[in-house]
This record gives sequence, structure tokens and C-alpha cells, in this order.
Amino acid sequence: MADVTQSVSVFEQIRLVAGLRWLILRNSLRKKNNRLDLIGLIFAGVLGGILVIGLSFAFYAGAYTFVSHGRPGWIASLFWGIFLFWQIFPVFVAGFGANFEFRTLLRFPLSLRAFYIISLAYGLADFSALASVCWLLSMTAGATVAKPGVLPAMLLIVAAFVLLNVTIERLIGSWLERLLARRRTREIFFGLFVLSMISLNFLTPLMQRYGASARPVFLRLLPYFAWLPPSLAGRAVAAVIRLQPAGFLVSSAVLVLYLVLFSALLWQRFAAQYRGEELSETAAPARAAIRTIQVKDDGPDRLSLLSPQVAEIVRKEFRYLTRNGFAYLSLLMPPLLILIFSMNSTGWHLTRNGRGVSAEIFFPGMMAYLILILMAPAYNSFAYEGRGIQTYFTAPLRFRDVLLGKNLMLLFVLSLEIVLSMVMLLWRVGLPSAHMLVATCAAIIFTIVGQLTIANWSSITFPRKMEFGRMQGQRQSGMAVLVAFGAQILMGSISAAILFTGKWTGNLWLPAQAFIFLAAAAVAGYFASLDALTKLAEKKKEVLIEALCR
Amino acid sequence: MPDIAIQTQQLTRRFGNLIAVDGIDLQVAAGQFFGFLGPNGAGKSTTIKILTGLLAPTSGSMQLLGVDFAANPVEVKRQIGVVPEGMGLFERLTGAEYLKFVGRMYGLDRATTQRRSEELLEFMQLADRPKTMIADYSHGMQKKLALAAAVIHGPRILFLDEPFEGVDALAAGALKALLARMTERGTTIFLTSHVLEIVERLCSHVAIIHKGRLVAQGSLEELRAGIAGEAGSKTTLEQIFLSIVGQSGTERPQLEELSWLM
Repeated sequence: MADVTQSVSVFEQIRLVAGLRWLILRNSLRKKNNRLDLIGLIFAGVLGGILVIGLSFAFYAGAYTFVSHGRPGWIASLFWGIFLFWQIFPVFVAGFGANFEFRTLLRFPLSLRAFYIISLAYGLADFSALASVCWLLSMTAGATVAKPGVLPAMLLIVAAFVLLNVTIERLIGSWLERLLARRRTREIFFGLFVLSMISLNFLTPLMQRYGASARPVFLRLLPYFAWLPPSLAGRAVAAVIRLQPAGFLVSSAVLVLYLVLFSALLWQRFAAQYRGEELSETAAPARAAIRTIQVKDDGPDRLSLLSPQVAEIVRKEFRYLTRNGFAYLSLLMPPLLILIFSMNSTGWHLTRNGRGVSAEIFFPGMMAYLILILMAPAYNSFAYEGRGIQTYFTAPLRFRDVLLGKNLMLLFVLSLEIVLSMVMLLWRVGLPSAHMLVATCAAIIFTIVGQLTIANWSSITFPRKMEFGRMQGQRQSGMAVLVAFGAQILMGSISAAILFTGKWTGNLWLPAQAFIFLAAAAVAGYFASLDALTKLAEKKKEVLIEALCR
Repeated sequence: MPDIAIQTQQLTRRFGNLIAVDGIDLQVAAGQFFGFLGPNGAGKSTTIKILTGLLAPTSGSMQLLGVDFAANPVEVKRQIGVVPEGMGLFERLTGAEYLKFVGRMYGLDRATTQRRSEELLEFMQLADRPKTMIADYSHGMQKKLALAAAVIHGPRILFLDEPFEGVDALAAGALKALLARMTERGTTIFLTSHVLEIVERLCSHVAIIHKGRLVAQGSLEELRAGIAGEAGSKTTLEQIFLSIVGQSGTERPQLEELSWLM
């Protein structure tokens, strides 16, 4: 019989959870890599602190100015800024995964009330909440200095606003947790995140084009925002300053109604979690269907020129590519980048020959930039193999086949991307002269194949596991990044030197000839390296398996 | 066909100061169902990793089916099937795609790979989810798929690291029957498991590893006969195991220390 004699108070439970989180952090620091991460965290913390303190002054000054200059209604804009930051920042952070899942606490004898309160308490300990509370207090100070009588009402409104924000943030967080627990939605979220980041680049040209016409539409929509929490908080403060008790009461009452509504919704969500909501994504047991075995003919082998092992690895890589939302999106990036760069440098409208943009510079420059981006994953090419890496070592094949298969798939993707990008360049900027085109194409072969050899070595020597649709902890090995950086600087320097020599000597075809020679040397070097890399893989297999099977 | 399927000489593996496998001399005859036992951390998985090429030994040598592993790794791997500790699956493939991948890796032609894949998926009751990715399989389904992949090329030696862990009783029964049938046809099966009842029921021969050293090896009858003072043929494998690894006496934790639980 269990000999527990007393229940634990909510305060004690909060203290225990805080202690648990501290132990998790402290124990994680036993690893060297995590200690290095801590340095990064401290650095980010200092920067974050500077940002919070700096903006605190801005919020103080804003509130003081609005109140003292007779424009208290404008305080709503400050509430809006804080509200958006508090709600949006954690959503982006959520995509990087949660360090500590509160659901795991449910195995302990916690009441639903305690679970709810602990969750709210830790919601207030997040960076976004701490920063927002700082800014709200700065606003309160600013408004109070301008008009001391506003302090009690301001404190009440700020308290309600804080509670409302933390409740909404927890509600969004718990829904996100539910959605991101499933692999597919996690990947879609990740894809949308990347897409939204890319889309930000279009803001400038879009504003240039549609800014003027969008303004009236935005102004027409403004009144509808008046009944949303930040506007209500602002109106309540303004009503106090204008000595309009009815306005204060109505705005505050609606704000409290929002609080009650979102609290009820959050309670409902937590109650579902408390009852044991299933977030697992494994397949549910199903009755096995009675099927007759039908041997299907896959048709002719399109990769019959390759050995069966290499062909299978190419197929596997292709399947992995088609099932990786992020990789799919990254395929869209090169032509998009060309569009963005050409728009940013010349505006939305561009004639075939690109006003002000020289294809002689833009074409090789963009190709170099694209290779820089597209080759980066090759330096950790086993990242997504996971435990499958063991198959490469238990199957009867030489590791050169694995490298060949992976490299062939990468070359296929690169070729496709480069062709697409060239078409985009042709449309936006036009093609360069024949000698520059040939030189660029040969340089592309040289830099890609030359880098492949180094990238294969890096992939075997500095492997780092990565998972589809996850962002937390998804970093390349620091050494792999350094190697990639070094290799790209080397290739870039060689290419720049050759192009400069061509210009300097006045021999327009010299770069093309030099790059063709280097491309041939790179191809020969690549094939010569495969056996050495196979031996290296055998030597490093424990490192590979250990790193990827975690 | 050689009489000895697996033979090792002074097989040793060190991890820094720790000797995980300490000079093992193992001998497994062809066609045996061989159980490899040991307490947690004894060196079972390290040994199986060395024998399947996932880990290089620090010293010593090994021959599988008479072929030296170090000299001809590809030739040896062609003859063996493995269910490694982490199962070694590519989680972004479907079950059928993975089996086809493995079949082709082992040099089967496309038609044979296709036919065997479908038959194995049916047998393992995985055929009703043709579009489900392995990442979305349950643990038991993944285990069954790993087993299917290990046998698709008809290996002559099959290495299984905890093969029944997470597999339901129905599937486990079918798998045991399949494995027994394979040994009847001459396949050597090298199995590690913590469930001693399974080993006792399936295996004809057993080796016990403790603290990296091989402390017993032989048929179940030989091991029973080697324990003095026990009830001879009635001795269970668990009793043999406890007796050999020294957990039956003073090393066993004393329950009296947990008096508050009783």
C-alpha cells in the first residue's frame, strides 16, 4: 500500500517542475556540444535582453507621449504591438519543437486545476511573455508619469491583458502541440514556415507596386479591429484618461469576457489532455485484408545502365526527396531567388535585357550563388538516413555504390535546378555572351564535381542526424559547415581568379578553356576518390552509425 | 557446405578502457538454432555487431561459412541476413519499397524481388498498408518488416538481435515456425533475446556471455549436465543462466532492503 500521507500544493508542484527543468538543463551541459550551445544561448540572451530593455524605453516614451499630448487612444497601437509579438513569436519557436512537454507531468497525481495553473505559470516564464510584461510595465510607468491618476486602472487593465495573452498563447500552443505531434502536419508547418520566410523577400516589390492601393482597404478594415483585445485595452485606458467611466467599464467588461471565453476554451483543451488525449502517430491496428498475391510488372528498368545497387540507391534517394516537404520547397527556391534578386535590383517590370543588370555579371554570379545554396546539404548527405545507415554496412555492397547513387541523384536535382534557373534568367535578364556561357557551364561542372569529393569526405567524417519536418536541434556539424565554407571559398577564389585573368589578358575564351580543363580534372579526381572514400567509410562506420542511429 | 557456420578466434572489442568483448572463441555449427545470452551490458549486441560487419573488432578474427570476414566482407554479407539492434530501416520508404530496395541490394533480380516482397508482406501481415511509410508503422510492424528484409535473399546465416521484442503473440508464433523451418533447411540462426523461455523453446545450442567473456557454450543438454547439484534434465534455462552468471546467490539484490514496499 502506498504510504503517501499528504497531497502536494500547487506552489510546491510549480517549484518541483522548476527544479526538474533546471536538472534537465544542468545534466545536458555534461556534453561538450551542449556546453557550446549554452555559450550561444547566453549570447542570444544578452542580445535579447538588450532588445527588451531598448524597447522598454520605447514603450515608456510612447505611452508618456500619447498620454501627455492628449492622444490616449493611440495607446492601443502599443497594446497591439505587444499582443502580436506575444502570440506570433511562440508560434515560430514552437516549430523548433518543445524542450519540455508539460503533458509528461500528467503521469503524476496532479489535479486538472493544478495542471492548468502550472501551465499558465510557465507560460509567463517564456521569453515572449517576460519581454511583453516588461514592455507593459514600461507603458504603465510612462502613462503614470504623464498622468498619475491612471495607475490603478492601468494596473487592472495590464493584469487582465497579461492573463488574456498568456491564456491565448497557451491555447494556441496546445493546439499546435496537437497538430505538430503528427508527422505530416509537422512537415506542412515546416514547409509553410520556410515558404513564409521566402515570401518576406517579396514584401518590398509588392509594397512598391500595391502599397498605395492597399492603404484605403486597410483603413476601411480598421473599425473592425476596435473590438479585439488590444484595441479594447487601449480604449479602456483612454476612457480613464478622458474621465469616461462608462467607456472604461464597457471596454474592460468585453476584455474580461474575452478572458473568460479563452479560459474556458483552454480549460477544455487541458481537460482533453488530462483525460489522456492520444497524440501518437503510429498506425492503429487494423484487420489484415485477405488479398491474393499479384506479381506486378514494374515495366522496363529506367536505370538499367547503372548497377542494381546504385540504381536502387538513386530510387531510394528520389523517394526520400519526394517525401520531404522542405526539400520540395527548396527546389522552388533557386528560380524564386533569381526572381527576387532581379526584382529587388531592377523593380517589378523588367524587359528582356534587364535594365541596369548586366547578364555578363548577373548570370555567373547567380549560378555561383545557387551552387553555394544547393551544394550545402551534400556536406552531410547521410543526415536523413537514420537507422537505415546500418543497411549500407550489412548489405553486400561497396560504399562507393552508396556514394555514387547519392551523388547521381544530387546531380540530377542540380541539373534540373540549373536549367530552371537558366530559363528564369533568360526571361528576366537574358543570357550572357557565348564565351561567358561556356565558361559558366564548365565552371558549374568544376565547382559541383570538385565539391562532391570534399562533400563525400565531410559526410563520412562529420555526420549529423537530422529529421524530416523538425527544426529543433537540426544543425549541421560545425566541422561540416567549416569544410563546406572552406571548399566554397576555395572554388570561388579559383573561379574568380580565372575570370579575372581572362579579363586582364583580354582573351575572352581563356576562362572557358581553363574551366573545361578543371572540370575534366575534377571528374577524374572524383572517380579516383571513390575507393579511398570507401575505405574511409569502413574505418569510420562506427562514427556514422553512432551519429545517425541516435 | 562447411560444417561450421560461425567461428571466431580471440574476438575482442575495446571501447577506451572498457573491454566489451574479451577474447571470444565462438563456434556455431551450420543449421543450428543458436541462442546467445547474457545479462544487460554483457557484450551480446557488440558481438552481434562485430559478426555482421557493423563494428570492427579490436583484435581477433572470424570466419562465416568458412570465409574470412576481414578479407571478403562483401562475399560474407551476401550469405547473411541481419535484424540489427535498431532494425536499420529507411523510415521514409513504404514496407514494399524497403523490401524491394533490400532485395536488389542483395543482388536479386527485379521479378524475384517483387514476388518475394509481396509474399513476405502477406506473411508478416503488412500487406494491407501498401502506402504507409515505415515511420508510421508501430514498433511491432517495424520489427516484422526488419525480419522480412533479413530473409528476403534466403540467407544461410540469420542474425537476430531481440527479434520478438514488440511482436504480438500471433505473429511471433508464425515467425517461430518460419525460423524453425529455416533451420530444418540448413539455415543457421544466431539469436539474442532476454526472454529465456523463447531461447529454451527454439534453440538447440546456447552460449552465455558475461562481462565480455564467454562463460558457457554448448547444447542445452550439455549445459544442464554441467551444473552440479541441480536436477539434471529438469533444470530450466533460467536456472542455468542464473547459476552461470552468478546472480543466484550473493550478487542478487536483497529484497529485505525494500521492506517499506512489502
